[in-house]
Amino acid sequence: MLDPTTQRQIELFLFEEARLLDSGDFQGWLKLYEPQGIYWMPSKPGQTDPLNVASIIYEDHGILSIRVQRLLEERALVLTPMPRTTHVVGNIEAEPAGQEAGEAAFKVGATFICIVHQGDKQTLYSGRHSYDLVRSGEAFRIKMKRVALMNSDATHAPMTIPL
Amino acid sequence: MIEPHALDIPTADDIRGLVRPDHVHRRAYADPAVFQLEQERIFGRLWIYVAHESQVKKPGDFVRTRLGGHEVLVTRGEDEKINVLINRCPHRGARLCMVDQGTSRLFSCPYHAWVFKPDGSLSSVPHRQSYPASFDLNDPINHMQRIKQIQTYRGFIFATLNENPAPLLNHLGAMTEVIDNLVDRAPDGEVEMGESYFSVEYRGNWKLHMENAADIFHPSFVHASSVMPARKAPANASILDQDQTREMLLANGFGFKEWEGIQLNGLPGGHAYMTNIYSNGVLVQKEADTIATQYRAALVAKVGEERTAEILGMNRFNNIVYPNLIINAQYQQMRVATPIAVDRTLVRIYCFRLKGAPDEMFHRSVRFLTTLGSPASMIFSDDIEMLERCQQGLSKDEGPWVDFSRGFDSDRRDANGMLSGAASEMPMRVQFQAWLNYLTAEAA
Ligand code: FES
Ligand SMILES: [Fe+2]
Repeated sequence: MLDPTTQRQIELFLFEEARLLDSGDFQGWLKLYEPQGIYWMPSKPGQTDPLNVASIIYEDHGILSIRVQRLLEERALVLTPMPRTTHVVGNIEAEPAGQEAGEAAFKVGATFICIVHQGDKQTLYSGRHSYDLVRSGEAFRIKMKRVALMNSDATHAPMTIPL
Repeated sequence: MIEPHALDIPTADDIRGLVRPDHVHRRAYADPAVFQLEQERIFGRLWIYVAHESQVKKPGDFVRTRLGGHEVLVTRGEDEKINVLINRCPHRGARLCMVDQGTSRLFSCPYHAWVFKPDGSLSSVPHRQSYPASFDLNDPINHMQRIKQIQTYRGFIFATLNENPAPLLNHLGAMTEVIDNLVDRAPDGEVEMGESYFSVEYRGNWKLHMENAADIFHPSFVHASSVMPARKAPANASILDQDQTREMLLANGFGFKEWEGIQLNGLPGGHAYMTNIYSNGVLVQKEADTIATQYRAALVAKVGEERTAEILGMNRFNNIVYPNLIINAQYQQMRVATPIAVDRTLVRIYCFRLKGAPDEMFHRSVRFLTTLGSPASMIFSDDIEMLERCQQGLSKDEGPWVDFSRGFDSDRRDANGMLSGAASEMPMRVQFQAWLNYLTAEAA
C-alpha cells in the first residue's frame, strides 16, 4: 500500500495526462514519456507478446513523436475536423515497484473511458491502463503505458487521438 | 440486409450504361440494386478466397468468414478434407457458431441441441423418438448447407457459390505467380498465417478500396501527413524496429521521379499488380541487415543461390486478385475486402510467417501489419478517410460521372494484358471492364 501522498501524486499525474490529451497538447503529452518510453495498445485481450502478435499501436518515443507531429503540424486527413476528446480515468491503484536507476518505480492500474467527437461522429472507447512509472524529481515519467481496450479484438474504424 | 428481389435488378443494358471506356457512373458505388447484382454475379459466381490451410490444420479446426452474402465456417473434417458450411442451423435457422476461429469436434446448436460434425453432417438429435419415423439423420436437408465448390492453391482456400465454375487456375491466371512467390520465399516451402489480424470497417463501397490499392498517384498527397514528419525524424530514433516504421512511412513519399520505373499491369478478369516499385527506394535491403542476410542464407541452403536470387528478385507490389484479395509477397501481407452493404466494407488484414526463416523475419512482417493495417495506422486511416469522402460525394446525385481517364492515351497492350506507367488509371479501367463483363453475363 502506498502512502496517501504518493498515491495522490500519481492520481494527479494521470489526470494531467488526460488533460493534456483533451486539450490537444500532444507535445506536452509526449514529454511525460521517458526517452525510451513505450506506448502499447494490444490487439487481443491478454496479449503479452508484442513481436509475434500485431498490436494496434506499439511505439516508442521515436515513432510516437512522428505520430504527434502528424497530429499537430501536418493535420492528417483523418484529423479534419480535429477530433475533440474527453478522457476519464478512474479506479487508480498504484503500488511500488522498487528502484529504477536510483529513482522510485511504480506500477499503476486504472480504468478509462474516452469519448471522441469528430464532426457529428461520436466514438466510445473503454478499457484498462497499466503504467510503469518512474519518479523523476517531483514529477513522474512513463516507461510503459499499456492500453487494453475492452474490445481490442473487435472490428474498428480508424483511431486518431491516443487513449 | 436487403432481401433479394426487394429491388429492381438492373438489366444488362442498365449496367452497360454505367461504364464508359474512361468514366464510370456513380451508381456503380451507390446504388443498392447494383450492389445486389454484384453480390449475385461477382461474389456469388467467382472464386472467393475464404481461408488459409494453416488456419485449419487439424480435424475440428475452423474459421468463420464470409462468402457472398453468407456467413460461412471453413472447417477441417475428420477425413482431413476442407469444408465450407453456411453458419446456420438447418433445424430452425439459428446462427450456429459465434466465434471467429477455434477447434471443435462437434458443433452443437444451443437451441434444441442438434449436433453437427465438422463436415456439416448431423451427428445426433436429442429425444430421437419424438421426431417422425421418416426423419433421417443422413438426409442433407438436415445438414449444415455445404458449399460444394472448394479449390485450394498452395494453401490458399477458395470457394464459390457457382455450381459450375471454371477451374480456380483459370480465374487466377498469372496471379498464381504471386502466391507462388509468397510461398517460395519460405525456406521450408510453406507459409503459416500469423495468429493476429485486423478487422477494419469503413463507410464506403468495396471497389473504392480495390481501386485505391492500385493507385500509385495518391500516396504523395494522401500520406503527406505521415511522410513529412518521418522525413524530419532522425534515422534510427526508434529502438523497437530497426527504423522499419519510419522507412515505411517515408516510402509513401515517392513523387514523379520515382514513378518513372514503375509499371502497372492489368489482366483480363480484373486482376492488377505493380512492378519495380521500391526497387531503388528506402525499403531495399541494406548491407548491414543481419536478419535479411541470415534469412537469405536459409533460403539459399534450401533452394540454391540461383533460385534464391530469382525468388527474392520478384518485385511485384499490391497484387490485386479480382474481386477482393490483395497480396504482398515481399512483406508477407494480405488483405481481403468484404462488401457488407453498398456503402459498408470490412477489410481484414493478415500477415504470414515464412516457415524456416528466422523469427525476426516474422516480427518484421507483424510490424508491417501494424504499420499498414492497424486501425490506428498513420497510413491506412488516411486512405480510409478518402474512401469515405468519395462515398459521401458519390451517394448524392450530383454529377453522375467518375473520371478514370488518366493515362488513357498511353496505355499499351501485350499478350498478357494491359501495361501502363505509374500515373495511369489503367488498373481501374481494367477492373471496371471485368466488372462489366461479370455483371452482364447472364448465365454463370
Ligand atoms: S434451431 Fe438449432 S437445434 Fe433447433
Ligand atoms: Fe494509400
